[in-house]
This record gives sequence, C-alpha cells and structure tokens, in this order.
Amino acid sequence: MELAVPNTGNNHTTALPGDNLLQLEGISHTYPTTVGSRSTLHNVSLSVMRGQSCAIVGASGSGKSTLLNIIGLLDQPTSGRLLLDGQDMTRATAHIRAQTRNQRIGFVFQSFNLLPRLSALENVALPLLYRGYGHTEAQRLALQEVTRVGLVNRAHHRPAELSGGQRQRIAIARALVGHPDLILADEPTGNLDSNTAGEVLALLQALNREQGVTLVIVTHDESLAQTLQRCLLVKDGHLLERYPNPVHA
Amino acid sequence: MPDAQPHRYGPSLRQTLSDPLSSLRLLGRRALLALLGIAAGCAAVVALLNIGHNAAHEAIRTFKGLGSEVMVGSFTATPGTVTRPAPATLDTQHVKQAVPGLREIAPAILYSATVRAAGQAYPLSVIGTSHELEGVLGLRLRHGRFLSPYDQQSTYAVLGAQAARALNVGSVSNQGPVAIEGYLFEIIGILADHGHNPLIPIPVDEAILLPIEGMRRITPTPEITSIIARGRQSERLAEDAETLRDYLAPKAPGHTVQVQIPQQLLDGLERQARTFSYLLLGLASISLLVGGVGIMNVMVMNVSERRQEIGIRMAIGARPRDIASLFLLEAMALAVVGALAGALLGVAAAWMFVRLSGWSFSLSMTSLPLGIASSLLSTLFFGLHPARSAANLQPVTALRDD
Ligand SMILES: Nc1ncnc2c1ncn2[C@@H]1O[C@H](COP(=O)(O)OP(=O)(O)OP(=O)(O)O)[C@@H](O)[C@H]1O
Ligand SMILES: [Mg+2]
Repeated sequence: MELAVPNTGNNHTTALPGDNLLQLEGISHTYPTTVGSRSTLHNVSLSVMRGQSCAIVGASGSGKSTLLNIIGLLDQPTSGRLLLDGQDMTRATAHIRAQTRNQRIGFVFQSFNLLPRLSALENVALPLLYRGYGHTEAQRLALQEVTRVGLVNRAHHRPAELSGGQRQRIAIARALVGHPDLILADEPTGNLDSNTAGEVLALLQALNREQGVTLVIVTHDESLAQTLQRCLLVKDGHLLERYPNPVHA
Repeated sequence: MPDAQPHRYGPSLRQTLSDPLSSLRLLGRRALLALLGIAAGCAAVVALLNIGHNAAHEAIRTFKGLGSEVMVGSFTATPGTVTRPAPATLDTQHVKQAVPGLREIAPAILYSATVRAAGQAYPLSVIGTSHELEGVLGLRLRHGRFLSPYDQQSTYAVLGAQAARALNVGSVSNQGPVAIEGYLFEIIGILADHGHNPLIPIPVDEAILLPIEGMRRITPTPEITSIIARGRQSERLAEDAETLRDYLAPKAPGHTVQVQIPQQLLDGLERQARTFSYLLLGLASISLLVGGVGIMNVMVMNVSERRQEIGIRMAIGARPRDIASLFLLEAMALAVVGALAGALLGVAAAWMFVRLSGWSFSLSMTSLPLGIASSLLSTLFFGLHPARSAANLQPVTALRDD
C-alpha cells in the first residue's frame, strides 16, 4: 500500500508526483432493498492525483453516482477505505464529514440543487456561513465568485428567475467559493442544451487548468469525457481505467 | 485562500438565529395552527394561575376584613356513639365568665325553610341567634333595630339585605308579618349588605334572623350549628379558643367540639386552594400536551417537505447539529410568538373571570414567566424528535429526489 504524504491543506500547490488527493481502496457498496440487498460497487480502487481532471462514464444504473457520492462523503461504503488528502475518512463522524465537505469539496449537481428561497448571492455565500464567516465577509467573497462566473447582474435574483445555464453557473460559484481541493460534478450538463453545456464545461476546465482544482465529472457525453485527462469506466459496479488521455497526460 | 479565515467552524449566532426566522414565513397556514395550539396551552396556564392567584387573594382579603380576633366553634356528632342532639341554647353570660378572654360570643342555629310574605313563598336560610351576633360580626342596620336581650320569647325577626330584596321588603313600617312553618314573625329590622365571608359558616345576607329560643317553633330539635366569638387579644386567640373548647365539650356529649381561629381556617382554605391548583395544573398540562403535539406535527411535515433542502445544506457543510438547530429554532420561534399571544389571552380570560366573580383583579407576576416557559419547554420536548430525525438523515438520502 502506498502511504499518502500528509498534506497541510494548502489548497493550490502544484501537483507533486505521488501527491494523491483521493485514494479509494477496495470500496464496495450495497443498497438495502425490500428484497434483500442490491450490490452496486465491487471492490473499487482508485487514486486521483491533485490537479487531475477525470471523467467517469458508464451505462445508466452502473453505479457512477453511487461512486461519486462515496467520494464526496455523502454516502458511506459498505467496506473498503477512503482517504482524502491522506486522511482516512471511512469511519469519520457526520460532524467531521460535513466539515470536510465544506472545506475540501465542491459539488455540482445535474439538477443544480440551489435553495429556491435564497437569492443567487445568498446561495453562493451559504457554504462560507457554515464555515463560520460573518455575513458581510461571506457576501463579499460570494460576490467575487458570482462575478467570476459572469452573473454579477443576476446576483440578487432567485434561482427560479434564472435560466438553466445560469443556475448551473451559480451552483459552480457555490462549489468554488470555499476554494475546495476537489470538485465533484454529477452530469453537470445533463439538463442543459449543447451551447450552455459548452460554456459550463469551459468554466470547469478553466478552473482545473488555472487554479489546479482537481475535477471529477460523471458524464454520458463522450466528447466531454475526451477533453479530460483521465477517463474511468464503471461497468456493473466494477471500475476500469479506459485511458489516461494521451493528449493531456 | 480566502482572507480572515474563521477560527471556529459553524454558522455564527446571527446566522443560526436568522435562518429559522426567514423560513418561518413560508410555513404559512400550518404554522398558524401550531401557533394556536401553543397559544391555547400558554393561555390556559396563565389564566389558571391568575384565577388561582386571585381566588387566594380574595380569601385573604376577606380574612383581613373579618378581623383577626374571630373564632368559630362547631359540633360534629362523634361516629360510633349514641346520637344525642347538640345543645339548643347557650348561656352567653356564663361563657364569658368562664372564658374571660372573650369579648363577645353568639350561638347560631342554621336551618332552611320556606318563608311566606304577601301571599308568596321563598326558600330562605333561617338563623336562630342572639343579640350578641350584631357585635360579633359587626352587623350594620339599614332599617329598624337588631334583636335585643328582651326579645327572647318574642316573635321578632330581622332580615338580611339579600333576603329583604327577595321578599320585596323595603322598610320596617307598614310591613305585614311573615310566616315561617306556620308561625308569624314581625320584621323589626333590615340589615345592610354584609358581604360573603368564606370563614363564617352562616349566610347572614340571605337569611332571616330569629331569637335562638324561638327556633323550637320551627324545628322540634334545634341544635346549635356554630358558635361565633370575638376575642380580646389576637395574640392570645389560640389559648382562648382552647379554653372555649374545653368549656363547650362537656355540654355536648357524643359530639366533637372544634373551635377554629382564622389562621386555621385560612390554612384549611389554603389546602383547598392547593388541591384546586393541582387540578389546574393537570388541565394546563393537557393543553400544553395538545400544543406540543401540534408543533410536533408541523415539524414532522416540515422536515419531510424540506428533505431536499436538508440534503443541500448537508452537502455544503451543515453538520447534524446545524440541521437540528435550524428546525428546533424554527419551532421555538413559533412557540415564542404563540406563547406571547397566549399569555395576553390568558390574562384577558382570567380578568374576565375575576370581574364576573365580583372580585378585584390582581395580576400574578409568576404566571407570565411560568406560562411562557412551560410552553417553550413543551415545544422543546416535542420538537426534539423531529429535529433529530432531520439531523440524522444521510446526506445522500436527503438529496435523493423522490
Ligand atoms: N436508494 C437506492 N436503493 C436501492 N438501489 C439503488 C438506490 N439508488 C440507486 N440504486 C441502484 O444502484 C444502482 C446504481 O445507481 P447509480 O445511481 O449509482 O447509477 P448511475 O450510474 O449514476 O446511473 P445514471 O447514469 O442513470 O445516473 C442502480 O442499479 C440503481 O438501481
Ligand atoms: Mg447517476
């Protein structure tokens, strides 16, 4: 077993060789159902280096979302070990997991998952408020992020008053506002037309290139997958490395 | 790296408090229902505490008006002994010699009978007593005179204020006789309103008063029901009461003689009031229970409706305790509004009850904090479970949209 180098959490250092941000060891997962249990992941192992961009593809129902939820500490594996930046998160308490999600991980969901009652700006500021920032400071930093995704003139709109593409950009701003090490996106362009999808994708890739944010994207879109450094295939709960993309590797 | 990195994880107090308030506005009609439940609970507690408080207040007030030197004697047949009647008369001069601490003493025989006047019949209390009652109770006359020592064998009667109104007797002059059990009595005086006093066992206002010796006309075996006396010194009252009891006991064989002084009577009242308070407490807890269940119901629905929101908040860093406090504080905000409204309502209800009872209202200072605190505690108790079930959701379960 390769020992991870303890990292002090400085977010945007350039990747060192062997600097594993994410390490999965023999992860399995089963859903309890009404008729016994249903196995979705079998003995999945994976290492993702800091700064890498990585696509996860596979047929519908193959277990991609389940895998991403486990990586994002939203779900727990039935067995196996998960290390984030060298720290074992497998048995961490709900408290520590929440704190780790807030400080290290940004989520982008297919259905945006913005809070409908809050304005775009308030949605973006929310992770900082949970982190303990004061209201004013959180709003100031959130506004920077909203500006970055090009929606400063929509900052005070409710999600319902925004288009799908705009909502996803706000969701990306929310994922970025806490300066995470890792962005996890589950079919982020699934609800968008191809033009808007292109814009959102370009935004994510720019982040990866310019700020060294590690990117893991679940997608059905072959052409999208090909623009990332790595492509992983989930098939019937098994994980196969399809290619490290020679163009980027 | 964001500047001014906070040193403690978790939302600020301001954030923790303002989040629930803003989502409260969205609860709408259902919030109103829970609010009503809590308000009713709090109103019940406040109203009941205030009514109890005012009842006690009233008792103490009448006790003070009575004067602290009064004592009340009574005879009760001792069970298991041969039944013999209690004495029918009392030699008050002799008692005063035997018990020098007494200023005045009057016996009373209480009976109820139908009194006929001007061809109409009224049920009234009949009190057989002596002229000393006037001094013992401090009775005042509106018309005529009270019974005198020379009236012992006469058929004179004095009307209580309320009884005079019932019989439509306005003055003593040109008033025909009244009939009690076939005997005619002449009205020689009408009393001014005396007021009800829970410590005195005879209803002077609603009665017709006769010389005690004449009671034999109305009932074949008259028995003294109470003896009312006034002592000279309130400090020596307990000893005087004991002397009086020792004097009376041999005169009423087969009976237990009790002589109570106001302090004992008041203690008895207080015991009664305490029983009453337990009853009120029971009622109030039921109301609080109902209010709490209402809150719980709203919260359970609230949690299940906002599962997606819980998931989103968890994904971006809300810890179980943050989720729990979000919902719990929402319930508490509801409860505070409900409790305040309920407290006002309760005071108003108590005020109305007290005024309708003819007492003067005084606000119980402890009732407001007690009512509000018990509503909040009930909410906390019933809100804890839904809040915890929300907090213990797995993020992935909460996020699933189905
Ligand atoms: N809550 C659940 N209970 C039971 N089984 C589940 C549950 N969620 C998902 N599954 C099953 O687990 C398997 C993997 O689901 P998952 O959502 O990870 O698939 P996916 O690869 O993301 O599919 P898609 O591309 O359609 O999103 C599926 O066969 C699904 O039926
Ligand atoms: Mg999926």
